[in-house]
Amino acid sequence: MTQPVSKAKNVAATERSALSPNKPLRIGLVEDRPEARESWARLINSFPDFACICSCVSGEEAVRVMPQEQPDVILMDIFLPRMSGIECTARLKALLPRVQIVILTAMDDKELVFLALEAGADGYLLKRTKPSDLRKALLEVLDGGVPMSSQIARLVIESFRRKSDTRDESARLSLREEQILHLLSQGYSNKMIADKLQLSVDTVCTHLKHVFNKLHVNSRTEAAIRYMATKAP
Amino acid sequence: MVWHPPWSVESSVPLRLRLLRWGLLAFFPTIIWSGLRPNASAAEPSAAGEGLKATTADGDSNLTNLLGSWIWTDKTLDRQTCQFWREFEIPKAAQVTHARLVMTVDNEFTFFLDGRELGRGAEWRELFDYDITPLMSAGRHVLAVKAYNSSSFAGMVFGLRILLGGEKLIEVKSDRSWRIVPEEAKGWEKKATASKTWSEATVIAPFGSAPWQEVPVRINLMPTLQPIKVLFWQTGWFQLTLLSVSGVVILISLRLLAQLALHRKEQWLLRQERARIARDIHDDIGSRITQLVLHGEVMQSERPADAQTRLQLDRICEEARGVLSTMDEILWAVNPKRDTFEDFASFVCGYAEEFLKPTGILCLFDADPAVSDVVLNLPVKRALLMVIKEALNNAVKHSAATEVVLKIKWQSQKLMMVISDNGKGFDQSSARPCRNGLANMAQRVGELGGTCVICSAPGKGCRIEFSIPLKQTGRSAWTWLARFLKQFRLPRNQAAKLRPGETAEAHDPTR
Repeated sequence: MTQPVSKAKNVAATERSALSPNKPLRIGLVEDRPEARESWARLINSFPDFACICSCVSGEEAVRVMPQEQPDVILMDIFLPRMSGIECTARLKALLPRVQIVILTAMDDKELVFLALEAGADGYLLKRTKPSDLRKALLEVLDGGVPMSSQIARLVIESFRRKSDTRDESARLSLREEQILHLLSQGYSNKMIADKLQLSVDTVCTHLKHVFNKLHVNSRTEAAIRYMATKAP
Repeated sequence: MVWHPPWSVESSVPLRLRLLRWGLLAFFPTIIWSGLRPNASAAEPSAAGEGLKATTADGDSNLTNLLGSWIWTDKTLDRQTCQFWREFEIPKAAQVTHARLVMTVDNEFTFFLDGRELGRGAEWRELFDYDITPLMSAGRHVLAVKAYNSSSFAGMVFGLRILLGGEKLIEVKSDRSWRIVPEEAKGWEKKATASKTWSEATVIAPFGSAPWQEVPVRINLMPTLQPIKVLFWQTGWFQLTLLSVSGVVILISLRLLAQLALHRKEQWLLRQERARIARDIHDDIGSRITQLVLHGEVMQSERPADAQTRLQLDRICEEARGVLSTMDEILWAVNPKRDTFEDFASFVCGYAEEFLKPTGILCLFDADPAVSDVVLNLPVKRALLMVIKEALNNAVKHSAATEVVLKIKWQSQKLMMVISDNGKGFDQSSARPCRNGLANMAQRVGELGGTCVICSAPGKGCRIEFSIPLKQTGRSAWTWLARFLKQFRLPRNQAAKLRPGETAEAHDPTR
């Protein structure tokens, strides 16, 4: 689901590996169902290199607790009572720009997942993912990989197209980025795209990373505006 | 249709002025005559009578010949209303050349011919002279006079002379042949036949005798009366027909409207119900099975067990995952928020990608980016998904292809789908359709009114083409109008934020 970017490594990941290579990864968990919360915590703790340092019942609690706990990765349920996982993601990303947020969803609905990605999530996982895949996915996210599939690529293109007339130049997709996204949406893999466009796979991945950064920058401001709008009487 | 003649009772003031002028011209005797009723017996028929001679249309100035007697009921009372009725007939072949009607009543009258009010008068000293030639057609006619006596003497004097071609003459005068209609009778002036209870009129005095012995002060020549032209849309039957036709049309429209509203309501309820089912599946079954998988995984990771137990646990988890992914499909199909063609194309591409990933077959999409907002209903959505699954399954099982191309297009009100592979293909004549589900596919598409074309030859891959006609429903003109208006209501960047499903409270997939 995620495509690793070897060169454009995430800052948090580099810091972590440089400072304390043996220290387990600190995982925060936001999940409203107690049973699921416990299972996830146990599952994460069963990996030797991962540790679940805190688990929150609601988005509100997460916004309060997470800044003190400073986890490396937050696993966020998409459906939470009151403040949704998507809103919580946007607000946590504003508070902790370095933290990696992975959305957990029971349903494989890309449109829904994309909303979370737009709000600033770094990846998404189906709740039924096998533990081995879960571990791999988490490491990939830490490594700065971007969650990309043809469907997501299509939604990204769509999202930028919608905003194209209102945003400034810096938030627009470059020609190359659009080309790559288009090929992705047609079902081509990173490697095939690299061959087609005569680029290296790394360059393709870097482009994708940029796309996501632009997406996040756009959406976070938007999410903030939306949040303020809901606060207004 | 009450017709007020211009000389009706209301215009009494100018009439009096004219009367005064005439009176002065007619010398003293006339004034005395008019002032000394009823016993002024010595007055002479002077200037008024002379004027009359000059103005009569048919040249017959002898009013005594034209007019009948003064008639009334057997009793004369003050403030009495008396209703006179009479009928006459003009022979069928006769040609009316002239018809003159002269009358007056002491004190007031309203005169009807065939139920139509023709004139009013309130001056017994004057005669009212009507030319009713255009109204005289062959057949029966009804004369009716509603007379009123304010005080003392009362009477009506009346004369109708109809000249027919060939020197024939019909005369109707005021005499005993008139009937007196009781006051309480209704619609009597229109009645064609007299009731037996209507009594005969009583002759009070002949014209020219006491108490009205003199010729009148003047004769009021009334304008010629024309028949009321009834245009076809003014006729009763036409209006009735129009009314009933409009009534029927309104009823039909109301019925259709009600049906439409009911249909809308049904559709809305169906969508609500689908949303509820989706929510229930998601919230309850979905989360429970997910929990089941989690339990299994936790157990596997925490309890080192023997290989047999591990395998069993693994199977349970796999099975549960399978159930969950099937449920995803059902949820997608049931969720009314994912009903557009765009959603369909997106889901199909996602499905194909996931399905072909483990097989190593490259899946390329050519989904029309300019997809429309066409709404696919549940059966169409489901059938199309089944067909695509079948086609992909065939490709994986039989084709040995390395590449599958999936094309989805919206073309001239039709949903076009092409699934082609570069596999080994098959001989269409020898393929047994029942076995590889090709017939099944064609049947499903046929049920939706579409066509399914399968092209394949050994070594040339396989190409399956569907085209399904779909009506553009729901989001037609109104959507465009709404969008158009929204652009004006909000600044553009705000409008972009309000796209469906993106508001903060819309994160539930079904709400």
